[in-house]
Amino acid sequence: MASISFRNVTKRFGETLALDDVSFDIRDNAFFCLFGPPLSGKSTILKLILGLEQPDAGEILIDGRPVSNVSPAKRNVAMVFQNLALFPHMSALDNVRFPLVERGIDAATIRARVSDVSDKLHIGHILHKPPAQLSGGERQRVAIARALVRDPVAYLMDDPISALDARLREETRVELRRIQQDMGKTLVYVTHDQEEAMSVADGMAVLESGRVRQIGTPEELYRHPNSTYVASMLGAPAMNVVPMALAARMQLGAGPAGAASLGVRPENLRVARGPGARIAEVEPLGGFTTLTLDLEGTQMRATLRGQPQFTAGEDVTLRVDEGRAHFFDGAGQALA
Amino acid sequence: MTQPIAAPASATPEADTSEEKRLGLWLTLPAQLLVLFIALFPICMQIYISLTDWSPLDGIPWYRAYELWIGLLNYVDLAGDPRFWSALWRTCIVMAICVPVQFFLGLGLAILFVDDFPGKRVLYSTLLVPMMVVPAVAGYMFFMLFQSGGPVNDLLSLFAGRPVTIAWLSDPDLALFAVIVSDIWQWTPLMFLILLAGMVSVPQDQQMAAVLLGASWTRRFFTIVLPRMKTIIIIAIAIRVIENFKVFDNFYIMTGGGPGVATETISIYIYKVTQQELIWGYVAAIALAILIVLSIVSALAINKMKGAK
Amino acid sequence: MTRITLENLGRDFGEFTALANMDLTIADGEFVALLGPSGCGKSTTMNMIAGMLEPSHGEIRFDGRNMNGVPMAKRGVGFVFQNYAIFTHMSVRDNLAYGLKAQGVGRAEIARRVGEIAELLQLSPLLDRRAAGLSVNILQRLAIGRSAVVEPSIFLMDEPLSNVDAAFRAVMRSELKGLQRQFKQTMVYVTHDQLEAMTMADRIAVMDHGKLLQVGTPLEVYNHPADTFVARFIGAPGMNLLPGRVTGGDGAPVIDLGAAGHSGALRLEQTGDILFGFRPEEVVPDANGPLAMQVTAAERIGPRIILHLAAGDHRAKVVLDGETPAPQQGETFRFSVPERSVRLFDAQTERAL
Repeated sequence: MASISFRNVTKRFGETLALDDVSFDIRDNAFFCLFGPPLSGKSTILKLILGLEQPDAGEILIDGRPVSNVSPAKRNVAMVFQNLALFPHMSALDNVRFPLVERGIDAATIRARVSDVSDKLHIGHILHKPPAQLSGGERQRVAIARALVRDPVAYLMDDPISALDARLREETRVELRRIQQDMGKTLVYVTHDQEEAMSVADGMAVLESGRVRQIGTPEELYRHPNSTYVASMLGAPAMNVVPMALAARMQLGAGPAGAASLGVRPENLRVARGPGARIAEVEPLGGFTTLTLDLEGTQMRATLRGQPQFTAGEDVTLRVDEGRAHFFDGAGQALA
Repeated sequence: MTQPIAAPASATPEADTSEEKRLGLWLTLPAQLLVLFIALFPICMQIYISLTDWSPLDGIPWYRAYELWIGLLNYVDLAGDPRFWSALWRTCIVMAICVPVQFFLGLGLAILFVDDFPGKRVLYSTLLVPMMVVPAVAGYMFFMLFQSGGPVNDLLSLFAGRPVTIAWLSDPDLALFAVIVSDIWQWTPLMFLILLAGMVSVPQDQQMAAVLLGASWTRRFFTIVLPRMKTIIIIAIAIRVIENFKVFDNFYIMTGGGPGVATETISIYIYKVTQQELIWGYVAAIALAILIVLSIVSALAINKMKGAK
Repeated sequence: MTRITLENLGRDFGEFTALANMDLTIADGEFVALLGPSGCGKSTTMNMIAGMLEPSHGEIRFDGRNMNGVPMAKRGVGFVFQNYAIFTHMSVRDNLAYGLKAQGVGRAEIARRVGEIAELLQLSPLLDRRAAGLSVNILQRLAIGRSAVVEPSIFLMDEPLSNVDAAFRAVMRSELKGLQRQFKQTMVYVTHDQLEAMTMADRIAVMDHGKLLQVGTPLEVYNHPADTFVARFIGAPGMNLLPGRVTGGDGAPVIDLGAAGHSGALRLEQTGDILFGFRPEEVVPDANGPLAMQVTAAERIGPRIILHLAAGDHRAKVVLDGETPAPQQGETFRFSVPERSVRLFDAQTERAL
């Protein structure tokens, strides 16, 4: 059980600034997601928490105590690797037992710990099998069991399900969420998939080239992005960000002072037949339909529920849902 | 349609910190020193001895060889030693014939073996046998084969329809031919094995892509397969060039370097000077000269390989 | 610019049937996706169209011409491999020129056509770069350009987006589609991702275990899946299928769904066991609804909420608008399914009724 805090942490690798003055707090028992593109610093944060790297400046606290002098082994933080790193020559049971056996813990305690963890992860029935005979999801759970069996204060996962196919990812992320709730431990989770991040996380940090751009619950970040960057990272299709000059074409007023661009989520764009924009493309996806619109040469996307009858080439009038317009200044910062 | 898109940076491993590098250096230092010692000690000793007129018969231990200091005299002698130059020249001839023949035979076999055909496994194992024969044994084998009353002449008699009694091993030109044949027999399999490994590792889908783009076999071979094998080809040739410089066992057993000095390669020459004339200071000088030549060959190969990557 | 006809096409590998009796006609200029899980036979089909693999039986025809036995170099197909198979030891220019050189096209002509295609694909500034180390979207464009420059009549693509980051896939999808529109070639696209198939293809051929299950436009396969496999495979999440039994006699038959309640009144001819299917997106929250299930998990993903539901052995998923008030985990969710959204399947054959 532990909270994890970064206080103004900076980390360089040679010339590269991997983390630039990063601060955040992860509360105890949270499912915290680090989200950003490749090389934005997510993996560096994990290494710093584990103690595999030392910060050049700033401080890392686990459970309120600075850990700069605590060795990786003493931090008692577990890690589930992207490739899971299960030992292929051992059964699932031996894989799970491994960390305890290595520490010379007595057999009775090991048995109790293993059965406790395997109950919570629902892997009791597959423990006798070697990893090669397990499905992707089962291997995942065994790897998590191995990480949790030694009762770490927190555990970290580096993009653990990106290798699975789309359908299995949808199932696995719900399963991960359930596991985290049942186990009740702080989980720091790295992903570059926005849908996955929003699905699993209690709290998340959006990173860009070593800097934290925004921290909050997925819903806060989705509804109130503080910059065009965060706005563009969450949601698919991404938020439309267009010049303020087009606001009137969507029946909006001038917006707050200093507004340079207007942001509208595709699902907040209402479309009706009439003059205004032209439909460039219709993508019917069954449950919803995505329209690509051409508004005076600017491309916009709208997502509609169901299967409305629009065809490419039609003219439509656009309107933005009440109170759902976002305004950004010239530097891309959100205006209240 | 296609807007320019920010390319996702390819994930590069984050650079090790200098601290880690230092730690790594400390941890491997003992092993590195040991390797350095093993490699450097004989070379230093060799340089030292080569500057003296020392011989084990002089009755003084090698480390006191400075008492027989002659400076660069051994090297001066070497430069004017016709037997050395002829041995070196002969070694180069052997190399210039053996390496290309082995390379093209090996490449041909590799092309054959890269695809499946019935009986491939058996033939494959058979082809590798020569490599596993002890060179001395191979030497005796060819020694027997090339006797004037041996199987090679018998076979030729069969074709000629009259008895053939060529003195393979006592005619200076034919003797060189015979030892070259034995070397090719023994080492083509290694070349084949290395080249086959290289050929198999050329990505299959790239070859498929070339075929689908209409490339003929030859075009595909010369534009995709060969360029992608460049590194391994350089390695294979470098190994054989260096090994050929050191060729000894089968040559010595078949001809003893003879008749006269007709098959005396550099190794056989060194051996003779060491064992029969016992002038070790001089031997050290020869060996050092060869080492320098081979180092240049290796450096060239490594340089080429870097270029290929 | 070629019509592809597959007739009774099949391929066995020893005892294993990779593809059984496939019949499919792909119109000139059409974009058809072969969609299915790994091992469904989609790649086998494509490899046979390309000529990398000979069929065990049946025929492949291009514009009516039988292609069986025609070597792949002579079929005039462009193939984009899963990992693009770029010649990394060559420059971008040499990659683009490769096919033209192989066909013995003149120097000036090669320069002109390579220049054109590079311009079209925005590769011009990169022409003299070595192909090794280029980013994945550029590799994709290069792979397409390399195939397109020889003007094949058919384009085949083997899961070209499977190695691409999730965030980047959407961009690549729209780029690919745009390119196909420009080249107007007949396109066969293999994928296991239903979203790729739905967003790009004119028609989707859904396959499983070596069999072609259904062919239709994206909306046809979404709205009227031929069987339960297609129903589950298309859509994210896929269609819910609850086993039930028709009860209620002649007056107003309903499907009894046990612990989950019942379907509500339906016009039905069937009796006995049946599979009750509905799309997660078409559910209506309804405090008086005939269906009630417990919420086991609730995912809030931007504009939508995915509820995971359970009642007895029944499992279902529901997608709600992010704006509607959603029940919490552990609560009971009551809902109804409009009759026009109900899809029924035979409990034994799993075929649509």
